[in-house]
Amino acid sequence: MKKRFSISPPVAALLLAVILFVLSGLLPNGFGSDLGVARAQATNIVRLAVFLGVIAAGQTLVIISGSEGIDLSAGSVVTLTAILTYVLVNGANEKVFLGLLAALAVGMVIGFLNGVGITVLKISPFVMTLGMSGVVSGAIIVITHGNVTGKVAPIMTRLIARPISPSIPIPNAIILWILFGILIWLLLERISFGRQLFAIGVNRVTARLSGVDVTGTNLLTYSLAGALAGFGGFLLVGNTGVVHLQLGQPFLFPSIAAVAVGGTLLSGGKGSYWGTMAGAIVLTLITSLLTTMQMPDSVRRMVLGATLLVLISIYGRQRSLRQ
Amino acid sequence: MKRSLVTRQPAFFALILLVISLAINLILQPNMFAGETLNSNMRVFLPIILLTVGQAIVILGGGIDISVGGTVSIVNAVLATRVGLQGSTEEMWKFVLLSLLIGLIAGSINGFFIAFLRLQPIITTYATSFLYVGLALFILPNPGGGIPGTLAGLYRNSMPLRFPLAFYVIAVILLIWWYASSTRIGKFLYAVGGKADAAYETGVPVTWVQFGTYVASGLMAALAGVAITMLSGSGNAEIGVSMTLTSITAVVVGGNALSGGVGGVVGPVFGAITLGIIQNIISFANINTWWETFVKATIIVAALAAPGVVNLFRRRKL
Amino acid sequence: MPESLSARNIVKHYGGVVALSDGNLDVRAHEVVALVGANGSGKSTMSKVINGVVVLDGGQLLLDDAPIQLSSPQAAKKLGISTVFQELSLIPQMTVSENIWLTREPLNRYGTVDRKAVQARTEELLGLFEGTFKTNLAYDSPVASLPPDEKQIIEILKAISFDPWMIILDEATASLDSRQVQRLFELVQSWKEQGKSIVFVSHRMEEIFRIADRFSVLRNGRTVGDGNIKDIDEKQLVKLMIEKESVLGFLRGEARTEEKIDKEATLEVENLSNDGLKGVSFKVHRGELLGIGGLRGQGQRHLLHSLFGDIPYLGTVKLSGKELHFKHPRDAMRNGFALVPGDRAKEGLLYIRSILDNLLIPSWKRYGFPLKIRKARMDATKTGENLNLKMAGLDEPVSSLSGGNAQKVVIGKWLSREPQVLLLDDPTKGVDVGTKAEFYALLNRLSEAGKTIIFYSSDDEELIGLCDRVLVMYDGMIRTELSGDSLTEQNLIAASLGIAEQGGAV
Repeated sequence: MKKRFSISPPVAALLLAVILFVLSGLLPNGFGSDLGVARAQATNIVRLAVFLGVIAAGQTLVIISGSEGIDLSAGSVVTLTAILTYVLVNGANEKVFLGLLAALAVGMVIGFLNGVGITVLKISPFVMTLGMSGVVSGAIIVITHGNVTGKVAPIMTRLIARPISPSIPIPNAIILWILFGILIWLLLERISFGRQLFAIGVNRVTARLSGVDVTGTNLLTYSLAGALAGFGGFLLVGNTGVVHLQLGQPFLFPSIAAVAVGGTLLSGGKGSYWGTMAGAIVLTLITSLLTTMQMPDSVRRMVLGATLLVLISIYGRQRSLRQ
Repeated sequence: MKRSLVTRQPAFFALILLVISLAINLILQPNMFAGETLNSNMRVFLPIILLTVGQAIVILGGGIDISVGGTVSIVNAVLATRVGLQGSTEEMWKFVLLSLLIGLIAGSINGFFIAFLRLQPIITTYATSFLYVGLALFILPNPGGGIPGTLAGLYRNSMPLRFPLAFYVIAVILLIWWYASSTRIGKFLYAVGGKADAAYETGVPVTWVQFGTYVASGLMAALAGVAITMLSGSGNAEIGVSMTLTSITAVVVGGNALSGGVGGVVGPVFGAITLGIIQNIISFANINTWWETFVKATIIVAALAAPGVVNLFRRRKL
Repeated sequence: MPESLSARNIVKHYGGVVALSDGNLDVRAHEVVALVGANGSGKSTMSKVINGVVVLDGGQLLLDDAPIQLSSPQAAKKLGISTVFQELSLIPQMTVSENIWLTREPLNRYGTVDRKAVQARTEELLGLFEGTFKTNLAYDSPVASLPPDEKQIIEILKAISFDPWMIILDEATASLDSRQVQRLFELVQSWKEQGKSIVFVSHRMEEIFRIADRFSVLRNGRTVGDGNIKDIDEKQLVKLMIEKESVLGFLRGEARTEEKIDKEATLEVENLSNDGLKGVSFKVHRGELLGIGGLRGQGQRHLLHSLFGDIPYLGTVKLSGKELHFKHPRDAMRNGFALVPGDRAKEGLLYIRSILDNLLIPSWKRYGFPLKIRKARMDATKTGENLNLKMAGLDEPVSSLSGGNAQKVVIGKWLSREPQVLLLDDPTKGVDVGTKAEFYALLNRLSEAGKTIIFYSSDDEELIGLCDRVLVMYDGMIRTELSGDSLTEQNLIAASLGIAEQGGAV
């Protein structure tokens, strides 16, 4: 039986990120030996990774919940909630909180609907969330008729897109992400919901016979995943300041890849958000490298597809038939 | 233990759905069964039907193939760019053969990762779907290119013995399936899809069977790619993307269990035609353009939810 | 037909673990040899070596004194070696006949499966066990709809369907009821007469002494004894296996005095009915060790799971006079109930999670918000110590534990909650003799401390030695209640088969 790598996956992912980053510096447009530029670039990569990282948080939860959990509706939920925030806030600082609530609530409702289909109707998560993604995309067209008017509030830009202060060049977004990461860690490891989530990811029968409310935990997971995607949409629009119909979609595939890179078992029951964060950084690095090399979107897709394949070949091998 | 007809023959339910949707369509479009109309419907349905057959085989074997749309896109891109509007018939057939090879390779890649490296089917074919669509985009970054009008016409208008070409294709496929599923190898497929480790203990060559299902799916996807290129006459790398979900929905509607080992190919074929008919019904129902995407997506979700709802009622009754 | 198969000085490693260092076995035609050993003795590895599932690292296999190599289960099959598995090798979605003939279906001249031949041959095989089936088992019944004992029979039929020379029965009687075991043993006799040889791998002493001609004992990877069954008795055999004081002494003659049992009824069950139960009523007293007996699949699992809130039911359950109706195991838990399920890998453990996680999964809500992990670890360590749990550390995955220790974790997760009612579904199945002794001591301690214990066992000796009263279930109902003098093996078996205590059919 093949032995697993002895380094923990999040650490392996971070090492990979560092290696990739150093390699990127050696490229023609790279930072070469200029440490200042290197630091600025590194900070930028991490800042860009924040959005993927937040969107991948919900994905982490559903994948841990097992039974082939996945959320393919995350991309379209991000787009929908971004548009919603954009329209509701409309430039007014006072409305930001409302916008945030709306994004979380809408995301949660869609996640809940996914959860109902999966737990009550026993539809496989892949199929359910893929179908829901189409419904949400259709809903976006119905709501917007193709055009959106609205505006981001200054406070959002200030909190999300800017650094802490002119003298401290750390983007707020990174601080937000760290706080967010701690929250997700608390969710997974320091409250009973998290423990129950891991339990249902491993074995639902045992979990139930040990007193865990499997259906409830599962429903809550998908609802939370939706809400977290909603939060991602809110942050994203706060960062870019504009919306369009394909805003969230490019994050979907990388969000799954990020979870996989981070070492969360795709079969469920084991994993962490720290790993996903490291994975998000790795994926953002890859995308950014490809952009620097001026590769078209088609190459980006091929590289991402191949990367995920390589990853799961290392981490995702299931028990072989012959023991 | 008596089981109802529906449980013993999952395709029966699909047949009922098909008949109902045909009836509704007939009401909205009375000349539906007239030669030309029938043909124009069937030629649109055929690519999905081909895709569905491959998907049904993979799902029977306990897997799933999300990359089929990507394979369709690659074939479409290759044909549209390599043959072109001015291409010759020989070139076309040469590239059709190449397309089949592409399908075999695409399927083999999936089969290698899933059957030999034992990776999870969903995430693997999701990854390869990205890879394949990327390749298609690489070959054909923007919609364009095409195939000679005569060949497209051949596909669109052929009606040997006054029946649509599609009928013959479907008939051949079903005949092959009818024979294959009655052989020992046919039983292997159901065994592997039912419980792979039990099949292994019994001496079934599980790995090769699983590999074979993905190759079959890749091949069918390539055929579907050829069909859709001949239907549209032009190239568009995103053409396959929405077809994947439709093929899965058709298999579900057709009565196959997504977990494998239950069902067949006939049911999914009925399912594919039913979904096509439903598309027709929507067009005839004159829905506002803005709502069209939403309605179609909701119908797909409803179709996917239907077995679950039925089971729910069955469980409550117990 | 071959005359003998011998395994000499077999060595097998799994990574760093030595499963066999000197395994020997002689299997001869016309004979049943019992392969005996505690869990971890190398017994299952040995049977896997002779049926080709694992490749040996050292030693030799000889067929009629000529060396052979078994490279795969298929190679073994070709030589006529067939195995009846413990882990079922049946495809649930396929029918009985499809399962039996898979890969070997009779073909007609077009190359397709000959359905008539399949049906005929299947019915012939099914006839061998005629009269022992409880359902309307037919050649085209889907296997998924069969109870475990009938699935096991199909496994047996599948193994003999190609007329093998050697049949390995690996714990094959575990799921069978007494009638089916009897029929199987009759078949074994006829196989012997035909010149076949049978390897009987089992824990069950009574069966071994009934059917085996010779025995071979493995301990810690080495063969420590073999010979004729006639020349040995149970106590000596067990001694060879465990080198410890026989655990059977613990079981025999442990008369439990009436005073220990509280007269007050803790649990009153009236007219419990659902799919598997047809109106079960009984009372249990505080401090009582109530046994449930009977053939497997008569509703025992349904009873325990219904009481635990896992399966819905009609009827009344009262705990100390208060009526309760649990809708979910969580409710049962909160009212002081605990369930040790029958299949620990599928129902009792979270295999890839740590021992800590497994011990605490029902109880996290008690550790506050945020969770006090340090206190949790202390409590888990204490539970482990109380149970004499042999583990490398709390953070090791529970999959690293042996069968007996893993079962301790299943019980351990409930013990720290100090449940008042313990429900156990065949808890010592697949547990080695040493751990069994520890369990018996634990159960006695708990009942003396005033806990109510309801305990199903398929092992009659266990029920007699351990329980104050035994309710024998048959066909979803309680058929007889045996206690004190009436609690004998004969009465247990009779009641299990539906025969009244005084003799004659009910």
